[in-house]
Amino acid sequence: MAERQVAELGPGAACCGWNHCGRRLAAGAVDGSVSVYDSNPSPSSKWQAHEQAIVNVVWLPPEYGDAVACVCADGTLSLWEEVAEDDQLPTWRKCKVFEGGNCCILNVHFGLHLGSLKMVTPYSDGQVKIYELLDSLELDKWQLQAEFQNVTDPVSRFGKPSCTSASIAWNPRRGGSQQASFAIGFDSDSSHFNSCKIWEFEEAHQRWLPLVELGSPEDKGDRVFAVAWAPNIGRSYEIIAVATCKGIAIWHIGSNTDSEGRPSTENVALLSGHDGEVWQLEWDMGGMTLASTGGDGMVKLWQANLDGVWHEQAVLDCSGSHV
Amino acid sequence: MPGMPTDGGGAIVPFRGEPGQGAPSPPPLRPIRHGVAPPIFRVYINWSSGNLLQVACLRPPNSEGCGGVEVAGSVVEVNLGSGGNGGAEVEEEIDEAEMRRIEYGSVPAFALLQSRKNALADAAAMSRMSSVPDYAEWWQYVLEYSKTIGNLLGNPDSPPAFMIEDPKTILKVREKPTSLRAAWELLEIFYVDKQLQSWLPERLVDWLADFDSLLSATESTVYSKLSNFQKKLINLQIVEDDPDYWNGLSAALSVGWLDIVVNMLRFHGSYQLDQMDNRETENGLVEAVAVLVSTMPRLRPNLPTGKLGQCCKTRPDFVKAWEKWRGQVTKLECSAFWIQCGHQKTRDGLKNLLHIMMGNIKELTASTSHWLELFASHFLYIRPFTVGFEGMHHLAQKCIQLKPSSSTTGLTGLVIGVLSENPEVVLAECTKHFGPWLVTHAMELLTADNDYADTMLHEERPNLGGISIEELHRLVYAQVLCSHSLTWQIAPTYLSSCLNQGLGLLEILLLKQPIQDNRLVLKTLEICRLYELDNISTNIMKVAGIYHWKHGRKGVGVYWFQQAHDKVRLDRIAQQLFEHIGKSVADDSFKQWEGLLELLGSDIGSAGGLEFLHRYRDFKRSLHQALDGRSGEAARQTVDFLIQLMRNPSTPQRFWLPLLHDSMELLNCKPSPLMNVAETNLLLNKLQELSLAKLRPDFSNNHLPSHALGSVRLALASNLARAILEDP
Repeated sequence: MAERQVAELGPGAACCGWNHCGRRLAAGAVDGSVSVYDSNPSPSSKWQAHEQAIVNVVWLPPEYGDAVACVCADGTLSLWEEVAEDDQLPTWRKCKVFEGGNCCILNVHFGLHLGSLKMVTPYSDGQVKIYELLDSLELDKWQLQAEFQNVTDPVSRFGKPSCTSASIAWNPRRGGSQQASFAIGFDSDSSHFNSCKIWEFEEAHQRWLPLVELGSPEDKGDRVFAVAWAPNIGRSYEIIAVATCKGIAIWHIGSNTDSEGRPSTENVALLSGHDGEVWQLEWDMGGMTLASTGGDGMVKLWQANLDGVWHEQAVLDCSGSHV
Repeated sequence: MPGMPTDGGGAIVPFRGEPGQGAPSPPPLRPIRHGVAPPIFRVYINWSSGNLLQVACLRPPNSEGCGGVEVAGSVVEVNLGSGGNGGAEVEEEIDEAEMRRIEYGSVPAFALLQSRKNALADAAAMSRMSSVPDYAEWWQYVLEYSKTIGNLLGNPDSPPAFMIEDPKTILKVREKPTSLRAAWELLEIFYVDKQLQSWLPERLVDWLADFDSLLSATESTVYSKLSNFQKKLINLQIVEDDPDYWNGLSAALSVGWLDIVVNMLRFHGSYQLDQMDNRETENGLVEAVAVLVSTMPRLRPNLPTGKLGQCCKTRPDFVKAWEKWRGQVTKLECSAFWIQCGHQKTRDGLKNLLHIMMGNIKELTASTSHWLELFASHFLYIRPFTVGFEGMHHLAQKCIQLKPSSSTTGLTGLVIGVLSENPEVVLAECTKHFGPWLVTHAMELLTADNDYADTMLHEERPNLGGISIEELHRLVYAQVLCSHSLTWQIAPTYLSSCLNQGLGLLEILLLKQPIQDNRLVLKTLEICRLYELDNISTNIMKVAGIYHWKHGRKGVGVYWFQQAHDKVRLDRIAQQLFEHIGKSVADDSFKQWEGLLELLGSDIGSAGGLEFLHRYRDFKRSLHQALDGRSGEAARQTVDFLIQLMRNPSTPQRFWLPLLHDSMELLNCKPSPLMNVAETNLLLNKLQELSLAKLRPDFSNNHLPSHALGSVRLALASNLARAILEDP
């Protein structure tokens, strides 16, 4: 197994995100600056995006240029794009800032549906807002398309929970007639909000509906740390991995539907291995291997064998004790 | 999703130091050297193409106090596919560049075989026969494929380009055999080559002769015995006094390396001229054994030129020759000359060789080292009449009991799998020891004429998400190819052979390619065209378009948007241009956007907004010509453009008046009317529409003089008057 260093991050780096092909990396720092790395150890650009620490950097889909969304510790979200004029060096331009209002924006994720760009932003009060980009060339005009709470019962009102983080995963399948959908789970003090739910856009009534909830009755209140939706290259069902305090659950979302038209869900595995909280889940491009990182400083690789049994395939020790 | 054979197979992400069978053993742990001192605050990961995983390790961001210059964070790229191939054994023997040569070289053979398979299936479907392809034809194709791939892996028979052969060389220097080639040949022998199936034992003997050196790295083999003796030989005065000489001879004879035996016998001291007289009988006995060795009958279709032995093509010939030869061996063994042979070691050594030739199991067991060598010696001396596969597995078990081996290499595991007629084991051994390249290509050999393997590999399994094991292995190999920028281009060949999920993975692979490099974009688009992935190519063009547009290369951006038929964005761009042009129609601003329109070319049928701008450009040009040259033709042309523009619904209303105002001078300067009645009426109607629109609050003023409308109306009216007069 070969490994090579691709970048060295400057002081204060607190989070990072890769673009669609994995060749560019944006790192956010505690001083509110963002650095972009292109196959060179030192950054190609660096700019002050916020006054406070950046907590998450997410790239927009490449169909909208080279652009990143920065979530700041002060609860705001800013969009930046790389532009250049006439052979000059590219610079990063602020396109839009979303304010959190009385609460904080926790995270952001982008999805493409029927040629339009959608953005999901969960807030610290448990609200989920979905914005749609109005202009295909500029990133400054957004329209609020929907706003809801991550609960399955639309009628009853729940109090305002206090949420520390939220994990989102868009359905990676692109194009076609498929409805836009994404999975979202919270880490909050309210058990109703926490469990991971799949939301789907209903074209007929132009609204978002909770499609299914991923969790057995006794697990539904568990805080969700990470969610990842596997690329589907031809399976008849979808696979979603959800990390909670109990481990990493692998869910099959079936093509069969129940009497109410909801797809079947099956928890096919509960993988425990990380000593501490799970930080991140990532599927490989074929949706065959799941990689996870956690508080123990390990990267773990998970696969199913020929009998469909999930197991830990390998561990990469990043704890730094082998420097 | 998919994974590995549970019966001790390898892994999708092949991992060095992988545990053997049994689930409870902990997964292999690999330390990542990222150069960041602990503690680690966060680890971020990202999969890029194939099995490449990028890992970013960050220190706690506020711990700058300790040292200051330390690395705050580091990003490393880890190739989980072990440098592109996966099989640990293969990796030690073959470097990356050589493996890449093999990977590239095997693509045409694989593609040809797939297309032949499809053609046969189509033909069978057409003739409505059962889907049994013409087997005779099919295995010939597979054999051809196997030979092509085999040649890629090196040819052990090829002599070195230049070599002065030392008469004292026992083992000839040849191309170093690789276990990849050994495994390939083994599979070819047992699964593909139908013609030579009845010569199976002899082929196995030949195979062992080629690859004996690979059987074990630590334990003794016939090869290691001989190579050790070779090293010793230079310093030996009297070879026949050294027990290793006789051990080497019996070892070589027991596995049928006749050339080496005869060559070594001639090292015997009795051949030296000064000793001939004293050791005449001894020398005669040595020579007699050498002659017997060199005339040993072999049941095989041919013998390579220069190889010793007596080739018998048919069984009756062989039986006759064998009995005669065995008779001669027995006769020599009982000969009275042995009493006259004064050299004890020679007498014992030669007798030992004769006993081997007579099939003495004790001697054979003693002179061979590895169980496979003992196995081969059985076919040569104990069961010379064995044909085909009969009893081979049982015999192998017996040999393993007699010569247990502490370490099993991939090759011996593979041999056991083959002999036990268990394709699952064969596949698992290939996966574990030889990597995804071999597995992917060898599956064609396994299924060439084996119904069980065919079903096993092609059955679609729900546990694998609806794909077959064959498809799974191809996908895994494709992922390995995707992990390197020099090999991803050949992955599509393998992905396209995967019926269920190949194209899905190919789409993701293509979309993951960076679009900054134009050559790479063209390459990606070519692959899209080849596999008819129109949606993907459209998407790539859009991504390339926005990239260039945003990076100041507006023309290139527009080009890609046009290629992608991205009407939404082109209209949006046209809108931007209108806004720019709409502010002023003065000639200097016309120059600014003319360059961009030039880049757009004339093929802009798909873009409504840009189409207008293009026509507007033509109109402007023509107007210039008409006003400069005052030629009647240019003026008529300009009017044609004007009429086209005014008729076209895509022409924005706010351009009507500037267009008419621009052409006014032309209308006024001609003595004869430039437009007929109908055309003039059209323009007048438009003008009327415009005066009504002017009353609406959203009407945009074009910075034209306030009397512009009136002047145009006057010009048109006078044109109409002249046109009516001239109207026939």
